[in-house]
Amino acid sequence: MNEHDEDRMKKLLQQALPPVEAEPEPARDLWPAMLRRLDAKQAAPAPIFWSWFDAALLAGLAVFAIFLPASIPVFLYYL
Amino acid sequence: MPAESEFPMNTHPYLRAYLAGVFLPTLILPLLLAAFIVTRIVLKVPIPIEQAMIFPMAVVPSLFGLWNMLWLGSHELTHLPIGLHGAILPLIMAPVGALVATCLHVLEFGSPGVTWFQACQVPYALIAPCFLAALVAYYLIWKYIVGSLNRVLEIA
Repeated sequence: MNEHDEDRMKKLLQQALPPVEAEPEPARDLWPAMLRRLDAKQAAPAPIFWSWFDAALLAGLAVFAIFLPASIPVFLYYL
Repeated sequence: MPAESEFPMNTHPYLRAYLAGVFLPTLILPLLLAAFIVTRIVLKVPIPIEQAMIFPMAVVPSLFGLWNMLWLGSHELTHLPIGLHGAILPLIMAPVGALVATCLHVLEFGSPGVTWFQACQVPYALIAPCFLAALVAYYLIWKYIVGSLNRVLEIA
């Protein structure tokens, strides 16, 4: 690569890359937002709350098992 | 937290899905085995334990793991809640399990109903309610147990 090519490459690079502004700092402090994201990631998963529908299903299942106990080993066979 | 320690949790999501899926059957299996052994040896109930354990040992855990992997792979496309996804599994497992049980003489078809383990009789009229109960049980298991494990393992 001769000197002419180097100059040409330099000009092309300068055209391609945006000029760095005089004040490269972001408009606001990004560190608190970063901390919030880290905290959210480390937090434990949200607890699960039973809906009344699911509780009713579970109660129905228990009643079914009481009235037909033969179904319990069959169900365990599939688990 | 260093970046290196975080990296492994973001990889192998399908392996984590498989492990979350097999968790419950693997946990239940030794208890089931102990219960069957006590029933047979202590209570002298003639249950064909060797044949009865093949399906729960060889098929069920793998199916749970693969089904959870399928949920992970298809969730972006279907947006199906994990409880409903799990409730579909008995549609596959019931005929497969019944077929294996019939071949191994664990399940026998008679005139009043089916006989499981040469001990538990279920009338034909109660097979449909039993199947519905299985759907409900699987829905709850997948929603609350497998779903929780998926969240713990950061794949849900």
